[in-house]
This record gives sequence, C-alpha cells and structure tokens, in this order.
Amino acid sequence: MSELTLFVLRFGFLALMWIFVFAVVFALRSDLFGHYTRRTGRAEGDITVNPIAPAAQFMPPTEIPANSDPARTLVIVAGAREGLEIPLTADHLTIGRSAQSGLVIRDEYTSTNHARLQLWNGDWVIQDLSSTNGTFVNSQRVSVPTPVPLYTPVSIGSTIFELRP
Amino acid sequence: MSAAPSNSANATITEQLLLRLKVPTKLRNIEASLIVFAMIITSAALALVDLGAVGRLDVSIIGLTLGLGAIVLALHVVMRFIAQDADPLILPIVTLLNGLGIAMIHRLDLANELVGWQSQATRQIVWTAIAMVVAIVVMIVVRNHRVLQRYRYLWMVVGVALLVMPLVPGIGVTINGARLWVNLGFVTFQPGEIGKIALALFFAGYLVTARDSLSMVGRKFLGIRWPQQKDLGPIVIVWIVAMLVLIFQRDMGTSLLYFGLFLVLMYVATGRAIWFVVGGGLFGAGALVASRFLTYVEGRFDAWLDSFNPAHYEAIGGSYQLVQGLFGLAAGGVIGTGLGAGHPDIVPLAESDYIVASLGEELGLVGLFAILSLYLLFISRGMRIGVNGADDFGRLLAVGLTFVIALQVFIVIGGVTRVIPVTGLTTPFLAAGGSSLVANWIIVALLLRLSDTVRQQREVGDAA
Repeated sequence: MSELTLFVLRFGFLALMWIFVFAVVFALRSDLFGHYTRRTGRAEGDITVNPIAPAAQFMPPTEIPANSDPARTLVIVAGAREGLEIPLTADHLTIGRSAQSGLVIRDEYTSTNHARLQLWNGDWVIQDLSSTNGTFVNSQRVSVPTPVPLYTPVSIGSTIFELRP
Repeated sequence: MSAAPSNSANATITEQLLLRLKVPTKLRNIEASLIVFAMIITSAALALVDLGAVGRLDVSIIGLTLGLGAIVLALHVVMRFIAQDADPLILPIVTLLNGLGIAMIHRLDLANELVGWQSQATRQIVWTAIAMVVAIVVMIVVRNHRVLQRYRYLWMVVGVALLVMPLVPGIGVTINGARLWVNLGFVTFQPGEIGKIALALFFAGYLVTARDSLSMVGRKFLGIRWPQQKDLGPIVIVWIVAMLVLIFQRDMGTSLLYFGLFLVLMYVATGRAIWFVVGGGLFGAGALVASRFLTYVEGRFDAWLDSFNPAHYEAIGGSYQLVQGLFGLAAGGVIGTGLGAGHPDIVPLAESDYIVASLGEELGLVGLFAILSLYLLFISRGMRIGVNGADDFGRLLAVGLTFVIALQVFIVIGGVTRVIPVTGLTTPFLAAGGSSLVANWIIVALLLRLSDTVRQQREVGDAA
C-alpha cells in the first residue's frame, strides 16, 4: 500500500474520531437548549413555594371551625425574598431546605426539614422539627408547637415572615 | 384513586404511555447507532495499526474486538428492557475509549512482538469482556440505587478492607515501588480500583446524613467563616487514611484520588467552599512533609520540576520515562505519525501508565484532543445526572463516581504532560489493566442506572 493511501486513511481516521465527537454533541443539543433543564443555579437564600400535593385535599376538614378566621397569607418581611406573599390554601405548610418542603428556604442556617405550620382549631400553630438553628416566634425560641398570632414575626434562618389575614 | 377516572384523565394516561414508549426508544436508538459508529472507528483503528506497522491485515484481532461489540449490544438490549430512560451517550463514548485503548495496546504488541496469550491486547479484550458482563450484572441486580445507601457502613468496611489488602503479607505485591497489587495465585489485581467505588458509595451515603451539621457555620476569623471544631473529625480521619496510603503503599495518585473525592463530595453536600481550603491545606502540608522525608516522593518532585537534568534523566526511577513520553508527543506533532508508524514502544510502560503519550504520538494533538473531548463529554453527562438527581444520595453518588473518573484523567494526563508530578494511576478505559476496567465499567453501570431513575421520576413529577 502506498504512502499516500496510508496518509489519506490516517487523516480520514482523525476526521472519523471528530465526527463521532460532534455526533455526540449533536445528540445532546436538546439537553443544552432546554427540554430537560430544570432548576439550575439557584442563589443562596432563595425561596420557592411548592404546591401542596393533591393528597392533602382528601383529609377530612373536620377541624376547621367557623368561629375565627385563620390567616390566609404568609408574608416574608425580611430576608432574600422580602415582600413575597404566599397564599395559605392547605391546612399545613412545611418549611425547610429540602426540595420536598412546601416553602423551600435555601440558606445555611436552615435545616433540611426545619418547621411545620399547621392549622389547628382555626389557629396556625408552628412546630419546630428539631432544627439545628431553631425557629423563633416573637424572638422566643420554639420548643413545643406554638400558636402564631397575626402580625407576629416568625424567624427561620435569616428569613422572617408574618401571617396576615 | 378509588374514584372512577374521568375521560380526560384516561386520555392523559394514554398520552403519557405513548410518550413513555416513544422517547426512550428514541434514546435507545441514538445509543445503538452511536455504538455501531464506535465499533466502526475501533475496527478502523485496528486495521490502520496493522497496515501501518506490518503492512497486512490481521483479521483475528478485529474479530475478537467485534465480539466485544456484541457484548456492548447485549448490554444495550438489556437496557431496552430494564433501563429504558438511561442516558444514551455514556455507553458509546466508553465503548470508543475502550476500543481505542485496545487498538493502541495491539499496536504495542506488534512492536514488542508479543503473540497469543503473551499479547497484552488479547488479555485486555478478555478483561473488557469480563468487565462488560459485570456491568450487565450490576445493571440487573441494582434496580434501585437507594438500596445502596442502606449499606453505607458495609461499603466503608469493604472500601477500607480493599484499601489495606495489598499491605497484608503473603498476598500483597509490590510492583514498580508501589504496593497496590494483590496476588491470589490465579490472578493479580489492584483492589484499590474497586475500593474507590465502595468509598464513593460510603461517602455519598454518609454525607447525606451528616450534611446538616457539616454545613453549620462557626466562628469568623480572618474574614472567613470557619467550620466548627467538632465538625473537623471526618475530614481529619480521611486525611489520616490518605496519608497512610501515601506512606505505606507509596502511591501518591491513589492517596490524592481518595482525598479529592471526599473533599468534592463534602463541598457538593454542604455547598461550603471552606472545606476546600481546609482540605487543600491539610493535603498540601502532608505532601510537603512527605516530599522531605519520603525519598520516592522527593524523587517524583525532582523528576517533574527538573526533568531534562541528565542527573534525573539517568537516575533509576528518574525522569527517563517522562522525558521519553514528551519526546514521543513532540514526534507526533499536530496530526501524529499515524497509527503503527511511530515508536511509542520506546517509553517504558507505554501500554498502561503512558498510553496517553503513545496515542498522542501516533494520533497527534488532533487525535489526543478528540480523546480528551470524549472524556469531557462523559464527565459532563455524569455531572448532568448528578445535577438532575432525584434524591440527595443519587446526586452525591453520581457526582462522586464521575469525579473519580475526572480526577483520574487529570492526574494521569497531567502527569504525562508534566503539568503535575507523575503518579501511578491508570487512564480510565484506555490503559491496559483488568481491575481498572472492571471498576470503571461498574461505574458506567451505576451511572446508567442513576440516569434512568432521574428521567423516570421526572415523568412521575410531571404527571402530578
């Protein structure tokens, strides 16, 4: 076999390797331009709200009495997302860094499952889920489930929120 | 779900079923065509090696390699049944890297006139076949990666046992100064290669539970928030183990690999860069002290910093191998000498530690960059699986397994190209060596399993 044929074959081989590389890149283009992308580059201290799973609706709503009007919104008054208002539609809301939480607070002082807000006889009650840095209602650390009156600051990590009608 | 589903719900379920059937088939079809492409390139490489080195075709070795292609396709078919949503690019990339490695090892066999069972290429093909079958078994046995998390302390015991196995008198073997091999009579292998998977599993499982306390912040000092003192325990323990490997097994690469793996997983788990500062400082200090007191480390540093000094070039265990590798790369130039036309066999251990230099000589900068691109794509797929992971353990495990490969590629190629001191690690998938192949194919199987879970769970999430 002549030198020239070999040279052409060798050059062709290098080209073939690169065609493979580009074929792979071509195959993953949908990955680069969306389609599969989700939730990337979330900033520290960021807050997101997950919809409550539909299963919550199947709970018998016997405990909700008609005498008092429970708070209907949660307002962030300090922290990365100050001013954010979250409607309280279900009868509970979990708070923590885990993506499964109802209210996801990502900062380094928040535990994975930090606290839980629960509607109890028409009042919102907060329960600390043995978080590392604690939950504070009106600057008092919570150790047992504690009722949260309207317009009372509740702090979790660097985020403070209030319940409003 | 006791209530009768409405018509619309029925329709969406049917649509989802159609989608589920359509998209994965598309993924698997991409995979199949790319695997065939990779096998064509591998056969072309083997043919060019024969034409370039001896001037005639040797059909038997190509036949054996196509046999490997059949096993890869078997893995592919298995995935059509049990992991339909797995990533379609990992398997073809790995197949091509493995094939290029076999072609280069075959080329060195021709230069060294090794035939039959003496031939390294035949052994590499057999080991690849074993590794692929092991990957298929892992794929079938591990249906749910979360089960692996449950046995995290078992993985720790297994990992540490494999790590210290070469130190056991009687079965431990020292090759080229490093005590990393075990001889069981019928087979010699490097238990540390399998150990790295066990340790990645343990680190991931452990850090999922420990992350909350490890991400706690402590006192502020010099403008940086340092971790709390009581949280320093794990990193110090891993550091001590890494240093013991450095001292008793006399292998810097393995030590760096384990420690780097732990640091990265700690960073990913806690999101706190301070662990890099603490860990980097600890390892740097350890390596500095080691370079003063351990002659082999000192020799490696000298050979790296002052390679072309005749004193180091001629010293036993000096820079001869490194410099010959560099000469080989220089001889290759931009487009290489062509497969079968260079002299890669001059470099000692050209088929294992220095396979990158051999490939660089015969394929040139263009070819070497194609190989590096393949690694880059593989690693980016692995990281992608980690980013998209459905649960914390899966995320950490995907990042850990991918990072092991990435770090190994960096340590080996960095060593060969004189970016960092030379350490004895194998180039994943390319280098001759059975234990490394088996370990890396297990990593491939686990990554494929994780990527399948990612896509399946996304569909469940979308449906809700």
